[in-house]
Amino acid sequence: MRVLVVEDEPRLAANVAQALRENAGYAVDIALDGEQGLYLAQTAEASGYDLIVLDLMLPGLGGLELLKRHRASGARTPVLILSARDEKESVVELLNAGADDYVAKPFDLGEFLARAKVLIRRGKGHCTPVLRVGDLEVHTVERSVRRGGRAITLAPMEYRVLEYLAHRPRAVVSKTELLEHLYDFNWEKFSNVIEVYISGLRRKLDDPFADKLIHTLRGQGYVLRAAEAAEPPATA
Amino acid sequence: MTRTSLTARLLAGVVLAQLLLAAGLVWAGIVFTRRQLRHAFDAGLEGRLMSVAALVRYPEAGPGLVFDASLVPPSRNPRFPAFYQVQGPDGGVVANNFPAEVALPAAGSPAAPPWRFHYRGRAYRGLVQAHQPILDTEENLSGPRAELTVYYAAPLLDLDEEVAAAGVAIGATSLVLLLLTSLLAAWAIRRELDPLRELAQQAAAISPRNWRFQPSPETAATPELRPLIAALERMLARLHASHEQQRAFMADAAHHLKTPVAILKSTLQALLRRPREREEYLAAAQASLLDVERLEQLLQRMLRLARLEQTSDPWAAAEARPLPPTEVGATCQAALERVQPLARARGIELRGVGLEDGHRLRADPDDLELVWVNLLENAVQHSPAGAAVELACAAAADRVRVRVRDQGGGIPAADVPLVFERFRRGADSPAGGFGLGLAIARAIVEAYGGSIAVEPQPPPGATLTVTLPLEPFHERGSPLQREVRAAFLGKKPQERDPNRL
Repeated sequence: MRVLVVEDEPRLAANVAQALRENAGYAVDIALDGEQGLYLAQTAEASGYDLIVLDLMLPGLGGLELLKRHRASGARTPVLILSARDEKESVVELLNAGADDYVAKPFDLGEFLARAKVLIRRGKGHCTPVLRVGDLEVHTVERSVRRGGRAITLAPMEYRVLEYLAHRPRAVVSKTELLEHLYDFNWEKFSNVIEVYISGLRRKLDDPFADKLIHTLRGQGYVLRAAEAAEPPATA
Repeated sequence: MTRTSLTARLLAGVVLAQLLLAAGLVWAGIVFTRRQLRHAFDAGLEGRLMSVAALVRYPEAGPGLVFDASLVPPSRNPRFPAFYQVQGPDGGVVANNFPAEVALPAAGSPAAPPWRFHYRGRAYRGLVQAHQPILDTEENLSGPRAELTVYYAAPLLDLDEEVAAAGVAIGATSLVLLLLTSLLAAWAIRRELDPLRELAQQAAAISPRNWRFQPSPETAATPELRPLIAALERMLARLHASHEQQRAFMADAAHHLKTPVAILKSTLQALLRRPREREEYLAAAQASLLDVERLEQLLQRMLRLARLEQTSDPWAAAEARPLPPTEVGATCQAALERVQPLARARGIELRGVGLEDGHRLRADPDDLELVWVNLLENAVQHSPAGAAVELACAAAADRVRVRVRDQGGGIPAADVPLVFERFRRGADSPAGGFGLGLAIARAIVEAYGGSIAVEPQPPPGATLTVTLPLEPFHERGSPLQREVRAAFLGKKPQERDPNRL
């Protein structure tokens, strides 16, 4: 998952980014003003951020204006607002302008992370923090994985690849998409890194079982799906 | 001290006026009645005198005259009878019942005024008429025609009683009317005081949630109430503005305190979410300490600004605290020294011009120094490296002017009205500022009766000018405050040129 944090206070932005990286395993980009935030949100839109965390009080282009322009461009990325304002009118105005949720400063980091996770899985059409594909269960809160009732230990990057695939079961996910959603813009993009993680996942998830979940479509990407395609609907 | 109600006092005034009126009426009525009755009495006196004269006849034989006293009508009060005396042509008394002690005046003309005397303590009024003919038939006339002189007097007893009765009648009527009109007046006064009650209700309904003060058009049009209403409206407007200022300050302050608190909280929460290395704890603790210091600095500045805005409040009594005469140049010099480290770090040259002139004004030197420091810091922060910032001090006859000029990007015209607003930060403001420096500078300058402004100038650079009056601190304030102060100090406010403030 990749998150854009638009916050003009560098220390707060760093703290939020650190929490998202350490506790949710997300890739995080930081924009320190509104213009940069809008630029990043719109240029990365082709691949897409999975969440935008937006401060309202920004020098130059304000958070509310950024939100309106972002929504006007047709973007559907969930937006979580950070604001020092907590009057009812401004909350209503924010939600009406296209914000998905709202945390008032000074916020609780745990609550902030939980809300961020909710927005990401909702944005991908899931209701509960446990994602299921066949007999595979991905617990996004504990960040643990079970298959057929057996706990499977994954490396952090392997988990992040699997979580992204589990959020979009049965869809073809390209290597580029994975790179864009798993690394922030500061990181180098080596496509063979993904292949290494996929082979690691195969070894731990598929090899001990008869039916395979991870499929490769040559030249297109990867698909996570149960063999008989009989898993319960993701939106249940 | 409690005072009697306005209604009661107005009513008392009305009743008193009416009592005076009634007394006047009774008095005038009595005088008039008395005069009328006296005229009537005199007319009656004359008539009765003539009827007495008519009782004189010629005797059927012989000389002399005959008077038949039995035909004189009897007096109503036998103790005070009417008196008469008839004298014949030769002066002989034909008839008389005047007591001996009553002296009769000499007979005058027929139009002689009545005379007065007292008999048994009772006032009498008498009339004398000479040349009264004898009203007898010619057949009885045996000698020449004679003329009589007749005296007649009657007691004024009846007259006084009637006058008293008239007085009582007028007085009683007046009292009844007075009672009625007093009731009417009481009702009218109560009704006319309704607008006052309405104003009181309106004033009582005013609260921080309701600033509406709109008397009904009838009340507002009452000439006596117009000054009161106008004064109330002015007072409300000032209170409202002051209240709004406080409210806005509270909102601003709360808003700007939340972000530093959020930073601190998120740092500590992130730190505690998992076990860390010793170095990480140390780094986080140091960062948090810096955050707390910054928060403390912000709080101090906000409180300072809040206090300054309070004292510039028109209601805050501007107590004339004794302030030392402070040399402006010296405070400028101190400020330049304080900002020097920041300027050096940013590669900016600081210059002071005209600081040795020694202009003095009554002010707290720390206040003045803070103004210059804030202006200089602002200029330094908006200057490119290698530029210069100049602080120039100059005095006119009654004021001192301090200019701070930088060579930065200047202030966009649209931002000029906003630069002195609290928490206002320009687009190129460095991170970490609070946006309070210029607001504090303005609040201090205004507290000393001065002004601060952005000078219009072509780019590059910006010039901020502070003008402070050299007059003593206590001379400032609203015209009313000055008047009150002048009253205490024994000076006339008109003696001063109002343009000097």
